[in-house]
Order: sequence, then C-alpha cells, then structure tokens
Amino acid sequence: MDTQWPRWEVFKQDTPHKPHQAVGSVHAADPEHALLTARNVFARRPQAVSMWVARAEDVYAWTREEVLEGLATAKADTGLGAACRYLVFRKTTHKRSMTFVDYVGEVEATSPEEALQQAQARFTDTEALAWWVVPADKVYQSDPSQETVESWFAPAREKTYKQQQFYATVGSHISKHKVGRGVEDDECC
Amino acid sequence: MPIKYGVPSDPDYNERLREFEARIARGEKIEPGDWMPEEYRRQLIRMISQHAHSEVVGMLPEGAWITRAPTLKRKMILVAKVQDEAGHGQYLYHAAETLGISREAMLEALLSGKAKYSSIFNYPTLTWADIGTIGWLVDGAAIKNQTMLAACSYGPYSRAMVRICAEETFHHKQGKEMVLLYAKGTPKQRQMAQDAINRWWWPALMMMGPHDKDSPNTEILVRWGIKTKTNDQVRQEFINEHAPEILEAGLTIPDPELRYDEATGNWLHGPINWDEFWQVVAGNGPMNKERLEARRRAHAEGAWVREALEAYAAKKQKTAVAV
Repeated sequence: MDTQWPRWEVFKQDTPHKPHQAVGSVHAADPEHALLTARNVFARRPQAVSMWVARAEDVYAWTREEVLEGLATAKADTGLGAACRYLVFRKTTHKRSMTFVDYVGEVEATSPEEALQQAQARFTDTEALAWWVVPADKVYQSDPSQETVESWFAPAREKTYKQQQFYATVGSHISKHKVGRGVEDDECC
Repeated sequence: MPIKYGVPSDPDYNERLREFEARIARGEKIEPGDWMPEEYRRQLIRMISQHAHSEVVGMLPEGAWITRAPTLKRKMILVAKVQDEAGHGQYLYHAAETLGISREAMLEALLSGKAKYSSIFNYPTLTWADIGTIGWLVDGAAIKNQTMLAACSYGPYSRAMVRICAEETFHHKQGKEMVLLYAKGTPKQRQMAQDAINRWWWPALMMMGPHDKDSPNTEILVRWGIKTKTNDQVRQEFINEHAPEILEAGLTIPDPELRYDEATGNWLHGPINWDEFWQVVAGNGPMNKERLEARRRAHAEGAWVREALEAYAAKKQKTAVAV
C-alpha cells in the first residue's frame, strides 16, 4: 500500500548573501506543497529569505568514502544525453552545524557523474566531505518576489518570545550553581 | 542514497569495522552512504525513531492546554512550543529515513503500539503549572540528553539534535520563567507550582532511562559514539543543575534523601521507583491508552486532508518555479 508521499530535500537560504544549505527533508504531494511544508518545518525562526526543494530521487549524492572508492567515476562515460545544468552542493566541515551541504555553483554536464567530475575539478578551494548534484530543472524555488518573501519569512522575525534570549534573565545565572566556581563568575556574566 | 552496512559474517567485516571505528575516533561524522555495521544502523533507527515518536506524542499533554492558557502571551508561547515539537519529530524522522527506513513504517509502528516513546508523556497534565514544569524539568532533562546526542557520530542525527537543542532551550527557559513566577505568586500559585514539581520530578529523573548497570545497550552506543555519556551521567548533570534552582525558588523536591555531596560536588538522590518506570513502559501508565488513541484518531481524522492534497497535486501538477 503506497500511502507515503515522495520525499523532498529542502535547501534554506538564511540571507541574500549566504548559500542555500540542505537542512533536511519533508514529504509532500507536489513542489508547492513541499515548499509550504518546508517553510513550516525549517523557517519557524529567523533567518530565511528563500527555500528550494528537490525530490530526493533527483538528488545524486556521494560521500567522500564513495568518491575514494571510484563510485562516482564508474558511470561517467555513459552519459549520452544532451548537456543540462546541474546545481552543485558540497559539505566541507565536520564542525557542529544544523546544515548538511552548501550550494557552491552550477555546471553543465550530460550525466550526474560527469557533473560531479566537473564539480570536483572546479570547486577545489577546500576538501569536500560530501557532494550533491541536482538537475537544475528539478529544483523548485519559493517565489522570490519581495511580497512573498515578506509574507513567508518576515513574521518569524517579530516573534521574539520564541528565542531563548528573550528569557535571558530568568533566575540566577547557571554558573552560580556550577561546582568550583565562585561569586566572581556571577558578575562577569 | 545507497546504504552499505556490514554484518560480522562478512569476510571483510573486521577490517572495515576497524576503519569505521578509526573514523569515529578521529571525530569524523558517519554519513548516509558510508559503510557502517548493521548493528550501528539498527541501534540508530531504534533510538531516533523512538525520539521522533516522543516529540510527536509529547504534543498531546501540552496541546490540550492551548485553549486554556491564562493570557494571550502564554497561549502564543505554547502554540509555538507545540509547533516546535511537531518540527522536531520531522527533523528526527528525516534523520532515521537516511538509514533506509520509511516514514510510513515508523508511523505504523507508533500507531500499532509496537514502537516506544518517552514514558513521561504517559502522565497527565492536571493544572497550568504542569505546563511550566514540563518546560523546565521535562525539556530540561531532554536538553541534557540531546546536547550529548548533538555530538553523535552519525551526521544526520547530530545535525537534527543541534537544531532541536537550539529550540528546546526556548522551551526550557519559558517553562522555568513560568514556574518561578508562580513560586513568587499568590499562595495558591505557589501551591500549584509545588504540586507540579512533586508530580514531575521523579518521572523527569526516569526519562534518562535505567541505571547504567541495567542498560544493556549503553556500552556499544558509547563505543560507537552514538552516545557520548551514560544515562547516569546525564541524570547527574540534570540534578546538579535543577535541584539548586528549585530550592532557590523556595520550592521543595519530593526526595527526602536528596543531599549535596561536598566531596564530589554532586546532588545525590534517593532510590528511583523503577517498578513504576517499567509499568509505564509496558503500557500501564496513567495515560498510555489515551495517548495512543489520540494519535490514532488524529491520523484517521486527518485522512481527508491527505486525500485533498493528493487530489490538488494531481490536478495542478507543476506550479512552483524551477531554478
């Protein structure tokens, strides 16, 4: 019984100058539904100005391990179709973060594998821990008009009661209760 | 994404296991697509889906109070908090899905009663002070656990936890603020706050799970970096933070044996009633049946929404703009 909607990967852009970043996934019946659900799940708080979604099956992903094993190049020559645009995403750090891969740019290729090879040749500024490539025509974006951006993302900014900082002065500072710290700590915090 | 996992009977299992454990020792995250032992995958699915179910069921005790919040401000805070719990469920189901289990299978396990969720959500919320206390103690306990899990070796779980902790801190602080206000309020409000602490203190301590000596999974979970602390360590951190704060607020803690130990700097607690814990886990808690029935009813009554969305999608096809 197939009652599960397709899975969509969600990319969120925090500010106009930051890249879109993979933040997780949603299940949805169509692109519009996916974008709406993505907004409710991943943009309940600041900041966001734009979201992209793509069906999980349209995302071609390689871990560093897979790249080392040569899995990415195995099928590179079989791409016989016409060249099309691919969006390229890359993970570059294991540091704690709420996101996975970042958008780094696009390439023209005849297959996802070729797109990866081009990406590896072109985006060389730092080591990649994971790569995603997605055909550009499979990536759907939220309406970029100012009006929509405002109505979708601005309301979250005003809800300061959702922020932990809003409650910053509740009770005494935690350091007071920590072992081995004296009164001096209270004054600096 | 292909999932590659190994079992001890594989000819190259020991070699790959060594590489895998070396990666974890170097602080690398294991990502979907990387090789992993089948047991690592199994433990992660078990833990993450149980976590996700807890977030979803956790909406029920609080959701019931949205219409009864004392002020508009408190209502908005509670709506935001309950919405966060739904979102946390989504982040976590996503993390579990990267291990090759379907959302549908996980939901089925919850609705059929096969899957577990945190035992604490099987207790009733009797007064508005319970809502503050859940934020302070229950979310406080959850954060201790989740901060530890944010350092988990599995990338998607770790990322979900970082996101959840950031939002959970709001839950914790607004709950603490609410209880502290009641503690300074009228005698009736103080009594409500005290009653709520009395009812939630022990269930909050049980949330971290059995003592380490009774927790069969802990050793392998710590070895593979899924957990970085044991149940008892997390419980101790929770008590050390919350016990002095509750006492400072002029409230008491329902544990006659609770005392501060100068030598270790720890607050030591009396014996926990594990019989009660296992009864609740086995489905015999005060609210187990109601919670599951509410989930099943919500799923059944939401069927028309799912059907409508499908019909709309079929009719409309592509409307959003591709990049």
